[in-house]
Amino acid sequence: MKEEFRARMLQIHFGERDKWKGKPLHEAIVAKCRDLEILGVIVYRGIEGYGTSTRIRHSSHWKLSQDAPIMLSVIDRQEQIAKLVPYLDEMVNEGLIATSDVDAIRFFRPEDARPRA
Amino acid sequence: MLNTGKAVKVSIYLSEGSTRHGVPTYSSILDFLFYRGVSGATVLKGVAGFGADRHMHTSSTVDISDHLPIKIEFVESRERVEELLGKLEDLAGTGMIELHETTVAKPAQRSSAKTLPLPAHQKIEGKARIMRIYIGESDRWRDKPLHQALVEAMRANDVAGVTVYRGILGYGAHRRMHRDKPFHLSRDYSIMLSAIDTEAKLREFLPIVEQMVQEGLVVLSDVEIIKYAHRPIETGEAFSSGDATP
Repeated sequence: MKEEFRARMLQIHFGERDKWKGKPLHEAIVAKCRDLEILGVIVYRGIEGYGTSTRIRHSSHWKLSQDAPIMLSVIDRQEQIAKLVPYLDEMVNEGLIATSDVDAIRFFRPEDARPRA
Repeated sequence: MLNTGKAVKVSIYLSEGSTRHGVPTYSSILDFLFYRGVSGATVLKGVAGFGADRHMHTSSTVDISDHLPIKIEFVESRERVEELLGKLEDLAGTGMIELHETTVAKPAQRSSAKTLPLPAHQKIEGKARIMRIYIGESDRWRDKPLHQALVEAMRANDVAGVTVYRGILGYGAHRRMHRDKPFHLSRDYSIMLSAIDTEAKLREFLPIVEQMVQEGLVVLSDVEIIKYAHRPIETGEAFSSGDATP
């Protein structure tokens, strides 16, 4: 089964070492997205990069401390994304959030069909 | 769908060592035929032979011979063959293609039928679309990982390019958490495939995605192509200089 709709995508960039209340920031954001029943979230670890703090981040096997760039991508309808944004304002101290409009198609098994607002 | 009666048998003669985009030419052709819904195809490997270069290739030579003859055969209706022939000529490179009128006495049974229009190969500039497909790493299509099958299907359908990313954490349509945990035996990461091509090409490919992806999310958005450069098509042993694409 499929469902087509207009959606918004947030791409949040920060570092792997960033924390929120003692927990890795990316894990905290994914947990928050689940609480808010956001449609889909995926976290990517980059192999090199730099961000707002202009530190060169890279993951090295020789160094124990890793600070790889993290990119977290969130997709859902505009109303759902709007619910998440205030939390992100609070949680992401140093980072970049890019947003774009997308056309989404969700494929699902009939048994997983549930009405989405 | 192949029916009883008149049909065309296509034989493609290749050298085992010839490659295209780094994979054996016969495998590119087989993928192309497979994802275009050809009823069936067989790859045969010769034990000795010679071709247009008048060089005898045998398996008895001391050095490892990778130039043994390969023959791909398939039977289809004349219309289907004519539809596929242009692309096949391109894929076969220096190889020979032979058409043979034949009669199907009994067609093989097929579980599902699909026909796809032949996409025109074009260079993309400026406005284009990016298609992102979100699935799980353990998702499968027939006997292979879904992300791998999607990449093969895209290549066979001339989608300009695709990259597969593995997420370290995430969840998708089925709300199953995909997590990267060391010492965890079952690997089920979130996977994202990102393909960029024209709106028309991606729209044309969507029915194939729909047929292959049971659970997942597909997202399309606008992008602008700044640079699209690719290497000239490799056709194995016949690689003429001077056809570099800017």
